[in-house]
Amino acid sequence: MATSQGNDSDMDCSDNEDCYDDYNDYYNDDNSDGEQLDMSKTDPEYFDYKCLSEEEVERLLNETVESLSNRLFISPSLAKVLLHSHEWNSNEVICKYKENPQQTLIAAKIDPPTPSKSIIVTSTYLSCPVCITTLNIDKFIKLNCTHMFCKDCWTTHFEVQIAQGISTAISCMAKDCVVLAPEDFVLKHLQHKTSIREKYQHFTFRDYVKSHPELRFCPGPNCSVIICSREIKAKRVVCDKCNTGFCFKCGCDYHAPTDCQVIKKWLTKCADDSETANYISAHTKDCPKCHICIEKNGGCNHMQCSNCKHDFCWMCLGDWKSHGSEYYECSRYRENPNIAHESAHAQAREALKKYLHYYERWENHSKSLKLEEQTLEKLRTRINKKVMSGLGTWIDWQYLFTAANLLAKCRYTLQYTYPFAYYMDTGPRKELFEYQQAQLEAEIENLSWKVERAETTDRGDLENQMDIAEKRRTTLLKDFLDV
Amino acid sequence: MAATRRLQKELGDIKNSGLRSFRDIQVDETNILTWQGLIVPDSPPYNKGAFKIEINFPAEYPFKPPKINFKTKIYHPNIDEKGQVCLPIISAENWKPATKTDQVIQALVALVNDPEPEHPLRADLAEEYLKDKKKFTKNAEEYTKKHSEKRPSD
Repeated sequence: MATSQGNDSDMDCSDNEDCYDDYNDYYNDDNSDGEQLDMSKTDPEYFDYKCLSEEEVERLLNETVESLSNRLFISPSLAKVLLHSHEWNSNEVICKYKENPQQTLIAAKIDPPTPSKSIIVTSTYLSCPVCITTLNIDKFIKLNCTHMFCKDCWTTHFEVQIAQGISTAISCMAKDCVVLAPEDFVLKHLQHKTSIREKYQHFTFRDYVKSHPELRFCPGPNCSVIICSREIKAKRVVCDKCNTGFCFKCGCDYHAPTDCQVIKKWLTKCADDSETANYISAHTKDCPKCHICIEKNGGCNHMQCSNCKHDFCWMCLGDWKSHGSEYYECSRYRENPNIAHESAHAQAREALKKYLHYYERWENHSKSLKLEEQTLEKLRTRINKKVMSGLGTWIDWQYLFTAANLLAKCRYTLQYTYPFAYYMDTGPRKELFEYQQAQLEAEIENLSWKVERAETTDRGDLENQMDIAEKRRTTLLKDFLDV
Repeated sequence: MAATRRLQKELGDIKNSGLRSFRDIQVDETNILTWQGLIVPDSPPYNKGAFKIEINFPAEYPFKPPKINFKTKIYHPNIDEKGQVCLPIISAENWKPATKTDQVIQALVALVNDPEPEHPLRADLAEEYLKDKKKFTKNAEEYTKKHSEKRPSD
């Protein structure tokens, strides 16, 4: 898009740093300049990706198909089958095809594994093995495996398969035959059947995207965006249409610093142990000083009893003052050093205790995240009132939303540090991790406390706290996010 | 209708072929989509009896697979208490329209004679089959004597 104004982008604010950052991923993909390299070094969560529409992805796939088909002098339909069976790696297809075309076609299930004997047809009439109708030979057609069936049967076969959601995997009708029906063969038998053709093309597209390592469907409900990245890493991607964030590698909720396998193990474990988990998920606790029953209605774990004004930690019920210093011991699990000599029963109890320690914190932060969302809603109403009554403008109060969003981001990472720590081997690295985790936890609770009391907190003080919390988060990820 | 023509042909072929392991085929004249017959296994512990099965063909046959149900109780790792059987050849993913019913029956007879404890429907029986074959054989034999149909005399 060349314009005479010397502005190479259609964005009005392309010179503005902040705005530029948001669009960096999309507009800056091809010219990786110094600034981008820097980003990937300073931000451990930096990830280069694009959000594409179905049409854009279709175009992208078609370009790959066309170039392969030109390169190898094969039909686009055949090129699609080859690409689909090789994770859309054109170079691999070209190498294999040039080295041994027969073997490549057999492996892609275009040709049968053993060459079929050519059937010498002596009569002009044949009986179709599927519908047992005797027809003129010109009513018959076959794939490369030479199993002959009448055209009507092929059509019905395709209709039934497509109705079941099968598309790229539709195979020949003969028993034990693995040969696949390529796109042009299928479509040829579905002329005048517009709705089935559309379904077929929709399903093949879905299969192609799923087999393509660089493409991911956005998991957001009813969202058609496809996320594209050259690198296949366990990093956060956020759909620019529905705002759903997920891990690009496994497609599940983002889980840094924990990796894909470990988080899967953890979530399975949590699901299995849901009964034990139920017992700990009580919403109320008693104040450790005056014993009045307290319901937690905010995200912050720094509690102040409304009755006796005692400050304590929701997690460990200890005095909050002891949490204030740099050593926030509440996040660390202390293993019993003599456990190896204890009975199996004691060991099992210890294992459960350890799991519950991490689970409680994991679950607690997840709940805090939800409660803080409510805090944000309340904040919004309060600010609306302020603005309406002339106390500053909407823009004046924006920093509070920035703070609340940052708090959510930090707490999210903190939540996912617990499965990471649970599966970590004991040793100096774990000690360092837990030290950093404790620091992050302390700063997040400070931030949460300040956000909940936002209007009475000094803005500078709040912004300072935001900076500290985010620095702690980045430091932890830099040291431990290994993807 | 494709299903009717094809099933009439298959029924005739099976009756003419004189299969020894599948007998007494009964088909209601008004409904060719339901067949009944007697599985006559020749391997112990099932060779002391016979087992009645029902084959149900869908209206879309042969583009969709038939379903098979045991009407006689059987002590077998791959056949559950309801008479359902897990037979790969007629699973939706593997089904081929050109597969013939006599091939399906042969696969079924082979499964009855030779259980596949690796893909069980009844995990308890599969475990017994693998861990204590003697006990399994004894139980299966007694069960067969008690519950199975009489074998045809010829």
